[in-house]
Amino acid sequence: MIHDIRVGALIAYSSIKRGNKKTLAFIVFVLSLIFVNLVFLPSMIGGMTGLFTGMMQDYPYGDIVIEPTGDNTYINNADNVLKKVRAVNGVRAVTKRLIAGASIEHKQKVVGVTVTGLLPTEEHEISKYPYIISEGDFLGELSRDEIIIGAMIAGTGFGSEIYDNLGEVRAGSLVDVTYSNGVKKTYKVKGIMTGTLELVDLNALVHYKEIEDVYGLEGSKATSIVARIDKQGTEDEMKDKIRDVGVKEPVFTWADKSESLIKQAMQSLGAIDYMSKFVSLIIGAALILIIIYINILNRKKEIGILKAVGITPRSIVLSYAFLSMFYVSFGILAGLVLYFSLMFYFQANPVVFYETMEIIPAIDNLLLIQNTLTMLILSVIAGILPAWSVSKESILEAIWGR
Amino acid sequence: MIIVKNLKRHYGTGKTTVKALQGVSFEIKKGEFVAIMGASGSGKTTLLRILALLDNATNGEYTIQGLEVANLPEEERCYYRLTQVGYIFQDYALINEMSSAENVYVLSMMEGKSKKEAYETALEALDKVGLKDKHARIPDELSGGEKQRVAIARAIAKKPDILFADEPCANLDTANSKQVLDVFKELNEKFGQTIVMITHELWHTKYVDRVITLEDGKLVSDERKRKL
Repeated sequence: MIHDIRVGALIAYSSIKRGNKKTLAFIVFVLSLIFVNLVFLPSMIGGMTGLFTGMMQDYPYGDIVIEPTGDNTYINNADNVLKKVRAVNGVRAVTKRLIAGASIEHKQKVVGVTVTGLLPTEEHEISKYPYIISEGDFLGELSRDEIIIGAMIAGTGFGSEIYDNLGEVRAGSLVDVTYSNGVKKTYKVKGIMTGTLELVDLNALVHYKEIEDVYGLEGSKATSIVARIDKQGTEDEMKDKIRDVGVKEPVFTWADKSESLIKQAMQSLGAIDYMSKFVSLIIGAALILIIIYINILNRKKEIGILKAVGITPRSIVLSYAFLSMFYVSFGILAGLVLYFSLMFYFQANPVVFYETMEIIPAIDNLLLIQNTLTMLILSVIAGILPAWSVSKESILEAIWGR
Repeated sequence: MIIVKNLKRHYGTGKTTVKALQGVSFEIKKGEFVAIMGASGSGKTTLLRILALLDNATNGEYTIQGLEVANLPEEERCYYRLTQVGYIFQDYALINEMSSAENVYVLSMMEGKSKKEAYETALEALDKVGLKDKHARIPDELSGGEKQRVAIARAIAKKPDILFADEPCANLDTANSKQVLDVFKELNEKFGQTIVMITHELWHTKYVDRVITLEDGKLVSDERKRKL
């Protein structure tokens, strides 16, 4: 076998060293495009996934979220829980929120919303809410009878044409909010928030105290406690630490929550990703096979000659496996150069989605390794199959075509 | 050395059957330089290809060095081609992407020699055919005569028991043909190499010991030119 490998390597080496360089360049170029085809779309989908999951962290869930136990509506004595969580090493900031269902009315237009009661000062460290005010101002600690409305329901933002909206509500307008318990209050719109995400722009924000008053809650209740941590990627570890300090309520990471909330969206993206990978792989495999097969057909006579002078079919097949691996390796290298060039371009010039959402493709090293290995395996198969088939032909057939 | 008994080779079936060989029998002794002659379609090339294990006979027996080779499995035929016989093609059949030396030493490497040994063997063989100084050239950089001499070097480098040559001078002018035949003669006389060569040219027969003539797939004459 070792002789077969040595001879196979010599044949492949000679072929590369003295073969037609233009043909080699063309094959490598086509293979590089096949590689880019395999990795580019998944990178874009990865970027899109990252954008969505990032939004889950930036708005409803932070890095860690604590929710009420079982069927309870509220976390009781939330301040005590906050105190415990704040004491955990690695927690950067933590706050409590109260969420309520309501309808907002403005000039006889009514829209259903989720109203989040939050502590404005603390939110600066927790979420992006304070930073997405497109008109007016964010809530302050003394904000009472004031509300922040999402741009989509205000009727001023992107997506307003799709959803029911209040029709051009501006900062300073007055709106009537009827909570799920029937309490009706009039609020002055302090600001319009534009998060370019339905989860944000179809909702409203008020001061925590507002919800507490409307629902007559006592003893510091919360529907969620949201925490941000110092080091991304340590969410699971932090989750355990929070449990360890005696927090009895269920603790989730943003990923746990996002999984259920945007699971469907991610599944759709995942399905597209899977299909695109599968189709790309089929196309890639077919192209590699065609390229190598044509290459081998052009060398059919050579294969016959090698067999006629005593070179084993195994050596011949190995030589084409080496040759094919060489083509594909260079194709992958060229493909990586092309891929990273595209990545740098799109990172500098992100694809704009929904007018304001910028999708920056994600470079996934595992994806690159997987596809590199897939292409190398394909190259071996693509080299071996046709060479094996030709090497099985009779010498007369291979050399003289009869 | 070579014993051929009632060798037949038919191509196709039914009415379209072509009887390339119709029961050829002869023996060739070690050290003989034999020419096979005959008109086109007489079965010379078919005979040579069968003897060199490039093709199979339809019927008949043939033994080389006492070994019945007709029914050897392909792997053993391959090994036999590598170690026992050398075959020289009419159109040189060199690998264009390999240098002269590589065309020769690839077989030595196949036999298991180290690269250094294989290279030395190749240079020795190229030296025998007068092309040592052109060992680095690829076939496209050689003349027709030189290509054929590289093909001879490839065939003799492994020191085969028998050398088969299928019209080795067919594409060469007289001067180059003479060079090639001189190499054969030297191999035969100096090293006792058994050579079986197909030729059309009558003047080539002055180099050989024996001339076998085929006609329509049958042996019609077997003439020894001089006593060995």
